[in-house]
Amino acid sequence: MQTEKHIVSAFDRDLEGVQATLMKMGGLVEAAILDAALALETRDAELAGRVRAGDAAIDALEEQVQTECARLIALRGPTASDLRTVLSVMRCAANLERCGDYAKNLAKRSLVLNGMMPIEGAPGSIRRMARAVVMLLKDALDAYIARDSVKAQDVRQRDREIDQMYNGLFREFLTHMLEDPRTITPAMHLHFIAKNIERVGDHATGIAEQVIYLVEGRIPDEERPKASGVAALTEASQTAPRSES
Amino acid sequence: MSSETSKMSAQGVQVYYGANHALKDVNVEILDKTVTAFIGPSGCGKSTFLRCLNRMNDTVASARVLGTILLEGEDIYDKRVDPVTLRAKVGMVFQKPNPFPKSIYENVAYGPRIHGLTRNKAELDEVVEQSLRKAALWNEVKDRLDAPGTGLSGGQQQRLCIARAIATSPEVLLMDEPCSALDPIATAQVEELIDELRSQFSVVIVTHSMQQAARVSQRTAFFHLGNLVEYGETGQIFTNPRDPRTESYITGRIG
Repeated sequence: MQTEKHIVSAFDRDLEGVQATLMKMGGLVEAAILDAALALETRDAELAGRVRAGDAAIDALEEQVQTECARLIALRGPTASDLRTVLSVMRCAANLERCGDYAKNLAKRSLVLNGMMPIEGAPGSIRRMARAVVMLLKDALDAYIARDSVKAQDVRQRDREIDQMYNGLFREFLTHMLEDPRTITPAMHLHFIAKNIERVGDHATGIAEQVIYLVEGRIPDEERPKASGVAALTEASQTAPRSES
Repeated sequence: MSSETSKMSAQGVQVYYGANHALKDVNVEILDKTVTAFIGPSGCGKSTFLRCLNRMNDTVASARVLGTILLEGEDIYDKRVDPVTLRAKVGMVFQKPNPFPKSIYENVAYGPRIHGLTRNKAELDEVVEQSLRKAALWNEVKDRLDAPGTGLSGGQQQRLCIARAIATSPEVLLMDEPCSALDPIATAQVEELIDELRSQFSVVIVTHSMQQAARVSQRTAFFHLGNLVEYGETGQIFTNPRDPRTESYITGRIG
């Protein structure tokens, strides 16, 4: 990876600038996911409201990243690893923006859930999953800044753990709904939350793939282990009726 | 798009200017109907190598060229090869437009005439017109072919020099920074022309503008300190170069 400085130092400042904005975005997204999960568990409407309002700042940063990158391409004509840096910053910003939307959605659903019958243990499980996914996201962003493709590979592998947590929650919610139809509405909301957190894991993987592209100049094409998808869900949904009989 | 057949082949080319070892063991295949760009910092050997391809270094008393350069399999440094005939086959366009102090017509007619490529005035007229058309200059000068070539604008003069170079139907066209004295519009016209000429010749261009190399070439060779560091498909060189020296140079980190 390139560590030498550019002859034109303003070029370095521009490149560092867009990456700093990206990392700031990452910090906001991580906090939003954790806060939203906490608001869900503690039924804290005020905190949920702050998460919802905070998404605008994430969106604004994403726009700033895209504008700065477009400007950098137009004015500096980046090539090779510089070009890959700019392209990967743009893609990562798009990934983070989606994660911000999921955090906002979680906060919104937590407000709805506040008015409903609680499902024993579910908010705690959601929060554990949220913490795990934020750790994954954080590692992906750390790998980005350190240009560490080994760490990025590790993030890709670990996304499976998030998938497994999602499958576990899916099964759990299904069981609740089968046992007591009154839980259907809250369980459906919780299921969407779990699914959205699982999607955050996919975006962390997307960022990890950008790290590999940045360092090695290629998008990884090896199959990564997946524990989501139709097969896993079929298995998960079969478990519940069996426990019924 | 570009052909994969080799037009010129350089094997183990070394150049000395007196005691100065200017080019060190260069091996490269110039492909047919392809634009090849040579890039690298000043003094890296790219122009020296370009000049080996039509024996322009013969005119430099202290220069010594070792190794083999083949054009269609024939050694161009063979004693039986007449350098003047070679230069009709491997034409050259220079950095500064250098039309002869003659009419536009005579500038283009000069080559075909001294090489005896035409039998009569009608044929010569035809060659002049076709060459000027290929150089995208015909429409601008057809009504004043007797006007002096030096009276044209810089961009037009450079296209006149290109017309002069292609009038002898060369197989390879060498261009040493053909746009560095031109404004952006004339540069774009010459670049468009290079892309059109590629259907008929191999074009080898030395340029200090990496963006120009990226725009016009299909193959790029990067020279540094007399070595050919990396040679590859232009898109690969500019997005994912393999050698760290290429990377440093094209991203603006070493001068």
